[in-house]
Amino acid sequence: MEFRIAADELKKALHRAQGIVERKATMPILSNVLVNATKTGVTVTAFDLDIGIVSEHPAEVMKPGAVTVSAKTLFDIVSLIPDANLTIKKLPNNYAEITSGAAHYKIVGMAPEEFPKLPKEDATHLVKLTGSTILEMIKKTQYAISNDETRYILNGVFFEPREGHKVRMVATDGHRLALVEREMAGDFKLKSGVIIPRKGLFELKRLLDEAPDAECQLGFAENSALFKKPGLSMVMRLIDGQFPEYQRVIPKEGEKQVMIKRATFFDALKRISLLSADKSSAVKLSLSENLLRITANNPELGEAKDDIEVAYRGPSLTIGFNARYILDVLGALETDEVTLELGDEHSPGVLHAPGDKEYTAVVMPMRV
Amino acid sequence: MTRAIIHVDMDAFYASVEQRDAPALRGKPLIVGGHPQRGVVLAASYEVRPFGVRSAIPMARAVKLAPHAIVVPPRFAAYVDASEAVFRIFERYTPLIEPLSLDEAFLDVTGSLGLFGTVEAISTRIRQEIRREVDLPASSGIAEVKFVAKIASDFGKPNGQHVVPPGTSRTFLAPLPVSRLWGVGPKTEEVLKRHGLLTIGDVAQKELEWLVQRLGPSGQHFWELARGLDERPVVPDRDAKSVGAQDTFEEDLLGEEKLKPHLHSQALRVGRRLRKSGVKARCVQLTVKYDDFTQITRRLTLDAPTDDGQALYREALALLQKADLRRRIRLTGVSGQELTSGAGQLGLFAADEPEQKNVKLNQALDAIASRFGTKAVITADLREDDPDEARDGFYSEDKREAAARAEFERGQQGPRVIRDEDLVYVPEE
Repeated sequence: MEFRIAADELKKALHRAQGIVERKATMPILSNVLVNATKTGVTVTAFDLDIGIVSEHPAEVMKPGAVTVSAKTLFDIVSLIPDANLTIKKLPNNYAEITSGAAHYKIVGMAPEEFPKLPKEDATHLVKLTGSTILEMIKKTQYAISNDETRYILNGVFFEPREGHKVRMVATDGHRLALVEREMAGDFKLKSGVIIPRKGLFELKRLLDEAPDAECQLGFAENSALFKKPGLSMVMRLIDGQFPEYQRVIPKEGEKQVMIKRATFFDALKRISLLSADKSSAVKLSLSENLLRITANNPELGEAKDDIEVAYRGPSLTIGFNARYILDVLGALETDEVTLELGDEHSPGVLHAPGDKEYTAVVMPMRV
Repeated sequence: MTRAIIHVDMDAFYASVEQRDAPALRGKPLIVGGHPQRGVVLAASYEVRPFGVRSAIPMARAVKLAPHAIVVPPRFAAYVDASEAVFRIFERYTPLIEPLSLDEAFLDVTGSLGLFGTVEAISTRIRQEIRREVDLPASSGIAEVKFVAKIASDFGKPNGQHVVPPGTSRTFLAPLPVSRLWGVGPKTEEVLKRHGLLTIGDVAQKELEWLVQRLGPSGQHFWELARGLDERPVVPDRDAKSVGAQDTFEEDLLGEEKLKPHLHSQALRVGRRLRKSGVKARCVQLTVKYDDFTQITRRLTLDAPTDDGQALYREALALLQKADLRRRIRLTGVSGQELTSGAGQLGLFAADEPEQKNVKLNQALDAIASRFGTKAVITADLREDDPDEARDGFYSEDKREAAARAEFERGQQGPRVIRDEDLVYVPEE
């Protein structure tokens, strides 16, 4: 195998692979990329047994073939080579030779046949995606994904088809929940919702961020998802299990509704939660006529309070929240104002962007 | 700054409550105890003490020592009531109250001197008010530091108080035997005696380096105590860093089945104390001391903070199963650590909170316990005269236990302590 490729092209491929290759390397070959040269160009494959990515790049192929070498080593080399182009050549014993200008490397590789095969996804039904829509949906839900590995069902986003080509994405860690529903270009033909794992979701986000307007497609086969855009495809294993019945925990319209300036609310929560007790950012919200008071106290540090003028008429309420949970929601929104709906001090708070009933953030209170 | 610390200790607490409530028992040799064969002495009135009857000795032995003594079964509800009344009196004088058990507490009244006069006057008032309102005798010790105050209260007994004026702690301690130093157990005592150190004064005169060389890091601790230096603050329960219960067994125990009831009793007591203080524990720690005095601690972080004794028991048992159960064990302890105020995050899904049921159950059990005592409802594996709980409720001067307790208070820094790595670490979400 021998080919000549632009350093930038290869760098792009390896950059994509970095997020996927296993660092902990239970199987050493999972730290590698598979570089395959064919008559049409070069593909770079990374696979951690859950997520696999194949990146296609133009190259001048002198002799087809494949090598597999450490993704990190190759990336570091390509980042520092002196020339705009490089040549990779396979040597006996799976060595790979890299030449660029006067720089020359001979790096250790493994037998390409040992690189695990990605699942075949040719028959998957694909639907065209609008990158910006999916990006928005990810942004508005990812913060609520659980980090608790013992609750692996919650370590991803629930992707649920709705009527009229709509799709819902729901994430929850058991304390808060984020739900967003948007219209898609077609029908995913899913019988029920699927759970996209966090790592796959973040990779998807990274790939979409490269070019949000590029044409791309998403589809689902049994227990896996396939994402395609020109020159790239990604498969990922889905989380196998039953997502909790999230509809149950979304309250009907709260009896107390207040409209708050988003930036003002955000800043006040940040400053007051500096004095929260414990490791949780517990703050108390006291809602009374036209006033939202945020307080925090920490027996070791002291106490803090801030008042925000709001448009509110109705019964007073004092309720505790983890400020971080509300900050996450406010940070994911773009509108000038948000509405906060509350029931009593044990009922969840619901945040909306005004005019967008298809985005709902639910946050459970804290006992204070 | 010079502190004013009072150690208040009720005299023969359970027995005094019995004598108070039954005039016929007054002035008589009285033993409060469990089952005549299996149980232990929970309290002995002063009238029976000359015969060698002390709390925590087996009932069978006590009855032999004092065949004429009257034996009554314990009424825990009455003791809890009396204890609460006594602590309410403490609260009039300072918020800095560190309970050691039902009948014993440290009070830091440094900040109250301006209001109530001298520390002696406060101590006298407290004891008078206990006598007048609760009709029970109490003794107290007054000193600059906790360690000295605790010893001084023994000098005040019965029904008196002993003051160690500022600056005289070292003179006061000097003639006492080394075994009175907190943390000196039988083994350390032996080492000290071998080197001719019989009194606390002997220890105080030794160079620090000499002690550290022979006793390890605790050498410094003993040296400081011997000189009347004890910086530890009076820590109210609610500010405590951990809540624990531990017991040295009557005899060393072998095997999980023998240990389980003790662990259960300890976990339930920790749960009760957590709930009483309105805090929850994020971590559970198990302490195991083997028969050769080596001690291990194992700890794990819970998914969610808890104040449920049953949940603590499950975790403690799992930790126990990782200890070396082929060896005889002389002590186990369960403690809840990394306490967090009741401010709890509520969950979205009911199924996430299997605790909910237990919260209500515990509320009900606590309500029953506050009226009828902690013995009114017990789990099936525990004895009604649970000797662990009895000793937990009644502090005894039994040396074995005193040593264990002192080590516990020392934060387990002694030379015999092997601290294991955390077994599980669950990072904060």
